[in-house]
Amino acid sequence: MTDKKDKSTLARRDLFRAAGMGVGALGAVAVGVAAGAEPAEAAATATSQGYRETDHVRKVYELSRF
Amino acid sequence: MSSTGDHDPSALPPEELQRAQIYALLARLLARAPDAEFLGALAGLDGDASPFGQALGRLAESARAADAGVVEEEFLVLFIGVGGGILSPYASYYLTGFLHEKPLAELRDDMARFGIARADEVREPEDHMAALAEMMAGLITGAFGERATLEQQRRFFDRHIGSWAGRFFADLESTPSAAFYQAVGTLGRRFLEVEAQAFDMAA
Repeated sequence: MTDKKDKSTLARRDLFRAAGMGVGALGAVAVGVAAGAEPAEAAATATSQGYRETDHVRKVYELSRF
Repeated sequence: MSSTGDHDPSALPPEELQRAQIYALLARLLARAPDAEFLGALAGLDGDASPFGQALGRLAESARAADAGVVEEEFLVLFIGVGGGILSPYASYYLTGFLHEKPLAELRDDMARFGIARADEVREPEDHMAALAEMMAGLITGAFGERATLEQQRRFFDRHIGSWAGRFFADLESTPSAAFYQAVGTLGRRFLEVEAQAFDMAA
């Protein structure tokens, strides 16, 4: 006897599969994304106007830390 | 068999993990331009014939054709600019025309409810699509504490994403300055369409 939740789970799975979002669709990218740096933190750096903290600049600050 | 909601200890269904990974991918691409290494990984994406699958294929194509330096410039033009980028992917902006508006306040309330905190160094408003995508991923996987139930996820999606993000991705898709990011626009738009359909089903 399946309860409502199980039916809903199966329906969602079918929808995602039919929509091309089957498991493994992202392949190696899924791993790359998991290993990536926090996007929200990067968003702050990237969206600041004017001064932009490039990797080069970040390295300078890193090296000058005491 | 549990009937007490989603606090059972079973593993996250694979298709739900997949959703989280797609949100994480969108977050990553909207937070900063992909470097050469990540473009290489994107080039390996392989989609099926479905609209979403085609969008993945187009993103892979764009990644294969892309030069990291050119994509970084494209990112700057689209989102940063000198007096501001071409697009402002913030809920407040799309819903009110201004930044730091009620949608941001409402998001902060929900973030507090779910125990999601803004990172210390972040000065930008949290209602940026990259941050919202990261939040959805975390709600799905339980990165901020307990996994959010589907109902909680649906409410979060409806309140903070559903009413505007499709339009943002459509804008990204159609702006002349987008080349690599045009494919990101298509992917985001189609993904959110599936998300909305799936949430409707579970309601």
